[in-house]
Amino acid sequence: MNHLPQAWGRPRDDVYGPYDASYLQSRLPQTHTQSPIVTGTSVLAVKFKDGVVIAADNLASYGSLARFTDVKRLRPFNSKSIVGIGGDVSDMQYLDRLLNSLDVTENYSSTGHSLNAKNLHTYLSKVMYKRRSDINPLWNQMLVAGLDGNDEPFLSSVDLLGTTFSSPTLATGFGAHLAQPLLRKVADDESKVADITRERAVEAVKECMKVLFYRDARSLDRYSIAVVTKEGGLELKEDEQLEGQSWAFAETIRGYGRTQEA
Amino acid sequence: MDSLVTTYSRPAFEDEGYSSDEQQELIQAKPSLSLKFALPPMRNPSAFLRALTDDHANPNCPIKLAHGTTTLAFRFQGGIIVATDSRASAGDWIASQTVKKVIEINNCLLGTMAGGAADCQYWLAYLGMQCRLHELRHKRRISVAAASKILSNLVYSYKGMGLSMGTMCAGVTPQEGPALYYIDSEGTRLAGNLFCVGSGQTFAYGVLDAEYHYNLTEEEALELGSRSILAATHRDAFSGGFINLYHVKEDGWVKHGFRDTNPIFWKTKLEKGEFSNVTANL
Amino acid sequence: MASLFSSNPTLASNPSYLFSQAPHNLAAGNKEHGFYPYTDNGGSTLGITGNDFAIIAGDTRSTSGYSINTRYSPKVFRIGGDDETGEGAHIILSVVGYAADGTALKERLNAIVKMYKYQHGKKMTVKACAQRLATILYGKRFFPYYVTAILGGLDEDGKGALYSYDPVGSYEREQCRAAGAAASLIMPFLDNQVNFKNQYLPGTGVGHDLQARQTEPLPLHEVEQLVRDAFTSATERHIEVGDGLQMFVVTKGGIEEKYFPLKRD
Repeated sequence: MNHLPQAWGRPRDDVYGPYDASYLQSRLPQTHTQSPIVTGTSVLAVKFKDGVVIAADNLASYGSLARFTDVKRLRPFNSKSIVGIGGDVSDMQYLDRLLNSLDVTENYSSTGHSLNAKNLHTYLSKVMYKRRSDINPLWNQMLVAGLDGNDEPFLSSVDLLGTTFSSPTLATGFGAHLAQPLLRKVADDESKVADITRERAVEAVKECMKVLFYRDARSLDRYSIAVVTKEGGLELKEDEQLEGQSWAFAETIRGYGRTQEA
Repeated sequence: MDSLVTTYSRPAFEDEGYSSDEQQELIQAKPSLSLKFALPPMRNPSAFLRALTDDHANPNCPIKLAHGTTTLAFRFQGGIIVATDSRASAGDWIASQTVKKVIEINNCLLGTMAGGAADCQYWLAYLGMQCRLHELRHKRRISVAAASKILSNLVYSYKGMGLSMGTMCAGVTPQEGPALYYIDSEGTRLAGNLFCVGSGQTFAYGVLDAEYHYNLTEEEALELGSRSILAATHRDAFSGGFINLYHVKEDGWVKHGFRDTNPIFWKTKLEKGEFSNVTANL
Repeated sequence: MASLFSSNPTLASNPSYLFSQAPHNLAAGNKEHGFYPYTDNGGSTLGITGNDFAIIAGDTRSTSGYSINTRYSPKVFRIGGDDETGEGAHIILSVVGYAADGTALKERLNAIVKMYKYQHGKKMTVKACAQRLATILYGKRFFPYYVTAILGGLDEDGKGALYSYDPVGSYEREQCRAAGAAASLIMPFLDNQVNFKNQYLPGTGVGHDLQARQTEPLPLHEVEQLVRDAFTSATERHIEVGDGLQMFVVTKGGIEEKYFPLKRD
């Protein structure tokens, strides 16, 4: 009870609860991604002896509709690392703006060194875990590729739940089922990474992009591919075409309405 | 218009990452037993929590919490006997057979654990803290009535949030004599001579009610407490493990062992001829 | 846009919307959350103590559903170390369940144990750390960390100490504990081999005359072999366990880390 006359006749805390100032700030209603609408499919990446190669196709799907065919899903960061993003495209664009603002603040800071891929992955994993804890997730799975603090190849994943893991080869979405087994044939162990050449890694990723295009109905034959090495820095090509496709296997497919030899 | 301007002139991404309060919380070494709890940012957090943890309504719920089971306490002329089993189950899985369900609040107050193991451990530890503060403020021991009321008021303030505990507070003070209270997470607080709590309570009541009277000797009382728990562990699948036996007197409590039920069962059967429903033949 | 679609399941799965096929399975009252904030990353952990040591081990596989995320994702961590390698730590923590919660929990405890050292000028005892971990877990009683934690180290007398937790922070000091996906496979094995449950001394009689084998503290090399056996066996019978076994041994000499490969199928 408050004995001051000023308090008489006012709502009492013990009856009405404490005064809540938050009602005074007007905000637009919080909107949460509850299910993704425009989506990107797999991202693939492989470590090799002096760097990492990462690829993702240029498609943004709207349900089963191949809606946008020139969406770049590899997002370079300060010319040393690159993030490949799958899942909701609007959240991807938000992440793009977020990374932009991070880059700007980092460039203004006077620490003298810039964020490496490992730092970037830690940052993104904190953002994603915080968002999931607020039940307001960014509906994406990302691969972060680049070099760590010792200029060693770095590759790690983070998803909408904030789960993180790293491996010599990684693939998100459909690629986790279809491409990852093929990529693991190239490098199934951290110790094998030192034996993989750049050519071998790029070839494996391209081959997997092709396999994904054969079987992933939400994929495209135009894709982006990037290689990060210490010597060459970040080399990003954003409008590649799948080469050497062979649809001969399609002839052998039975079912789906096709019952006899053509 | 002003609200639109404030909305869009806020620095971008200010909500991203942790606020300085949240960061501070991560590194402060002090807080320990506090009343600040993280709530899921949802319209109905308790329904969300229940969906996750209620293994009774949904045996496939993802988070199975440890649950305690048969506990009893009764008043008699020589003080209070407190006895429990020691099994904790999470669904069908026996999570532990060695749980200490008698919680030593301080050297003269005991609490028992039934329901959510974490709830009981945390809140009885919290109660221990409050009792100590009471002693420091008032220069005398807290009465059992007051201690039990602190606990019941506390859990009542969390009513509907999903706490689950059925506990007994036992203590002997000069002003009250032997005092025994039952408190549960619904906010109930009852004084009484005799309580059994948990899924095995009915079995324990059966034995306890039949043999109980206030003028039991200490030896008889200890034996009755132990025998009642034994009956419950025998018939209730969610009770078992060890019999944890305490005697509370005015100058504090005395522990009377943490003994395996299995040898006690066979001893009871073979030497006293009880449990004749069970065959002893190989 | 999102809310518009989520209230209309037909449209979400099929953009070519026909009014004649208006969804009829709209539940009464809109579904509030399409997002479930938990997952299970599988794996198992195990801790055993002896007279002057504690071991905590965990497999290194991380899964989601039937997929293997990675073959090397540690579940056991040094707590209170001086740098990110964990050098100088004296406590070990294992977390199994939802890996992101596990990482968050580990980082929180790690920060607290370090702050304790800076503020008090001495190392946090395992007993204090165990109580602190329980309060951290209980602090999220209404939005739990979906993890089963095991904490290990040496107590004030130099004896091995092991504490096991449920997701909301009920805890107990024990001789041994298995947690995670294969807990139900490993724990009975431990009951029998560490606590000698249901073992009787041969030749002491038949039936009720048989005498139970008394427990005795096991030597380090024997416990290490038990841990390896537990994990090779769990790997054989549980799909979420395998790839590698990471083992931390705490003795008065410090913390030693060991790694053994497990089957990767």
